[in-house]
Amino acid sequence: MPKAVRILLHIGVSAILALLVLPAFVVVPASFNAASFIRLPPAAFSMRWYGGFFQDPEWLSSLATSAEVAALATGLSLSLGTLAALGLARLGGALRTALYGLFLSPLIVPTIVTAIALYYVSRPLGLVGTIPGLALGHTLLCLPFVLVNVGVSLHSLDPALLRAAEGLGAGPWRVFRTVTMPIIAPGLLGGAVFAVITSFDEVVISIFLSGITAKTLPVKMWETIRVEFTPVVAVAATFLILLTLTLFALLRLFGLRQAKPAESLS
Amino acid sequence: MRPVAFRAVEKSFGAVRALRPTTLDIAGGEFLTLLGPSGSGKTTLLNITAGYLAPDAGRVRIGERDVTELPARKRNIGMVFQNYALFPHLSVFENVAYGLRSRGCTRSEIRRRVEEALATVQLAGFGGRAIRQLSGGQQQRVALARALVIEPDVLLFDEPLGALDRQLRKHVQLEIRRLHQRLGRTTIYVTHDQEEALVMSDRIAVMREGRVEQIGSGRDLYERPANSFVAGFLGESNLIEGSVTRVSGDYAELSVPALGMAIRGIAAAGLAEGEPGAALLRPETIRIGADTAPCLAARASEIVYLGEIVSVRLVLADEREIWCRRLSNLGEVRPGPTTLGWPAEEVRILPIHSNEETREVRHDRSS
Amino acid sequence: MKDTRSRRPLATALLLLPAALFLLLWFAAPLGELLRLSFSDPRGALAAYRELVTGDVYRRVFANTLLVSVVVTGISILLGYPIAHVLTRLHGARLHFAFWCVLFPFWVSVLVRTFSWMLLLERNGPVNAALEALGLTSAPLPLLFNNTAVYIGMTHVMLPYAVLPIYASLVRIDRRLLLASDGLGASPWTTFRRVYLPLGMPGVGAAAALVFLLSLGFFITPALLGGISNITVAMLIEHLVNERLVWSLAAAAAFLLLGVTLALLFVAARLVPIGQALSER
Repeated sequence: MPKAVRILLHIGVSAILALLVLPAFVVVPASFNAASFIRLPPAAFSMRWYGGFFQDPEWLSSLATSAEVAALATGLSLSLGTLAALGLARLGGALRTALYGLFLSPLIVPTIVTAIALYYVSRPLGLVGTIPGLALGHTLLCLPFVLVNVGVSLHSLDPALLRAAEGLGAGPWRVFRTVTMPIIAPGLLGGAVFAVITSFDEVVISIFLSGITAKTLPVKMWETIRVEFTPVVAVAATFLILLTLTLFALLRLFGLRQAKPAESLS
Repeated sequence: MRPVAFRAVEKSFGAVRALRPTTLDIAGGEFLTLLGPSGSGKTTLLNITAGYLAPDAGRVRIGERDVTELPARKRNIGMVFQNYALFPHLSVFENVAYGLRSRGCTRSEIRRRVEEALATVQLAGFGGRAIRQLSGGQQQRVALARALVIEPDVLLFDEPLGALDRQLRKHVQLEIRRLHQRLGRTTIYVTHDQEEALVMSDRIAVMREGRVEQIGSGRDLYERPANSFVAGFLGESNLIEGSVTRVSGDYAELSVPALGMAIRGIAAAGLAEGEPGAALLRPETIRIGADTAPCLAARASEIVYLGEIVSVRLVLADEREIWCRRLSNLGEVRPGPTTLGWPAEEVRILPIHSNEETREVRHDRSS
Repeated sequence: MKDTRSRRPLATALLLLPAALFLLLWFAAPLGELLRLSFSDPRGALAAYRELVTGDVYRRVFANTLLVSVVVTGISILLGYPIAHVLTRLHGARLHFAFWCVLFPFWVSVLVRTFSWMLLLERNGPVNAALEALGLTSAPLPLLFNNTAVYIGMTHVMLPYAVLPIYASLVRIDRRLLLASDGLGASPWTTFRRVYLPLGMPGVGAAAALVFLLSLGFFITPALLGGISNITVAMLIEHLVNERLVWSLAAAAAFLLLGVTLALLFVAARLVPIGQALSER
């Protein structure tokens, strides 16, 4: 390739990469606006809207709801997903492929479809506007990530190790606790991080399953954005970015290679 | 039938000197093999010829044309790659036609020449096949046809037979040689297999650590190696190291204190008195049970019967082992003490190739 | 010794049961209920579907959804291909950093990113300010609440989904094939057109299928960035449920969307290795 073309290509690609990363961060300066509407760049900086966020019971309770929902959904998807991943690893052939497809299907079905289906069945059960209702919905989307992450780390588990442990007289629970568990621990942590992020960022299902009694942070943001551009939303958005960056750093800190399943493509 | 000329061509990758300044002439129609271990610079030299690598300095000429600055697509070369590099998404026909399409040949000419080329490599009628339907040997021949069909000024081979099994490899070696004899294209062939080099080449350039150690016919290299590296790389050899005590006329004398004797033989170029050297005794040179001087006491410790020849392992006074070969019909060899002799005119006294690593090893051994 | 895999089928079933049961009860059953609902229109079993297919308003929504998905797919491929190509040429820290840039959007909430674009594209936002400062426009352009904004926002979300399959495909191309083409006299453009492009096509196909499928059902970004006339199917479904409370229509629209998605997925899976791309997204 001619040198000039290559240089142009690299410049172009660098520009696109910058456009991928940078725009999300405009919410950070936006959150420090002193005015009661968002101005970019802000005319004056102030922490005023951070105060606003923490003094508003609606924003605070939505944050608390999101945390509770994420904790529940993560716990549920982690237990269901780990058991299923262990089960899948013992299967082979067409059954395994079919079940894998079933477990991943919530990612293929458009979320809006899942959302109204859940909304329809949740209403008569009284689950709309409740934390368990939201958590059950989120679990559908978190489960595939746990399954993939734990599945990847199970690949590195040599079945001979299990036989060896059994041969040395360990019962099934002891084998799981002393051999399987340590080996799949990175997968569990990776799956947990994705479950938390997925649940915290989920909007579509949450819009339908939230109510006055329980509303997640993204839903509160969604409702506010549709009415006005208040800097409080930017504050909430900044918190969400901080959360993802923190969890990202946490994964890096533990030196885990399997980040989001997509990264395994690399 | 274009000659190829290299003038002080060199290439480094970072601190690694892949090719030291090399000057080399290849005659039009010649089959030259670059032979050497991995990292010897042979593939670097081939890629510089093809235009896939730009030399740091020096010039490359093909025929009358200085091609140093030309990209590969303008050099009119035909290259057969290691593992062939056939286009997996194109049929056999389209693979072979590829270079002709790039040259803007007419449809009917492409058809005619591709079919001719496929016939040349005995693949007539295979044009419609997909590459993955072919065996390794067939893929190798498609690669050859693809390189030949463009009537290249130079044909380049980069270890093309490595992926084939031994039986097939021998067959293809002969096929390539016959093709070369018929078509007479200037050919540069890279391999680390000495047998392959001997079967096909007009001349062989033995390379080591980025330089050509010696260039000549297979017989030249085997019978008159320039140094101990070439002697060790080509054919089996017994090298006995010592120091050169006398050089006079065609002959030189090497003193070997460990054996308490001096070995006389034909002197290679570049020997100097007082310098370390090595005596090359080819296995077929050594006579067992000799009683005329020079005479050396030894013990036959292992005798391997190989049909028309026997191979004998001999242990010398300093516990050093050498191998000897002789025709089976010269009588049986028994294990136990014996004496060895050799005609001085079949022994060569060689300089030891200079290399920091081996020099250190030698110091260690002498201390 | 028996293979651990086939051993104790009861234990295997017990391990799989909770997740399978959960998905059946809380995913498959609700979807089944929705399917039943789509045939429950009082005017007749297929009335809802008939209304969607024949109604002008609905047709416009489908057409717009298709348009948005096609345009976003096109832009994502056009931008994703060069990125993927450059990624194959990078090494070490630069490759790491570039990959991080591509994957970063995966990590940040779609809502946050869409909100960011609203702030950027706003009438008095920085993009308009920059355009005016550069003298390209004299008055603020209406960048928000139209399809242009939807294209920008959705491409931002979809680009990583395009880059990864293309990269996976390009990085597997044997570089010696390009050298061989060059040596046979082909120009760089010919080498690209006849060797590099066709060998990377499976990745491009997978990327296009993936982006297109995800775009079809996208809700947040078009809902926030689009205008009143830029309704997509997902927005229509939400509208039918929350504003008009016609469940049979909403369910029918949902199943049309799901049907098209699954049909395309089925076709694409025969043509390109999309299964891998999907399961690893």
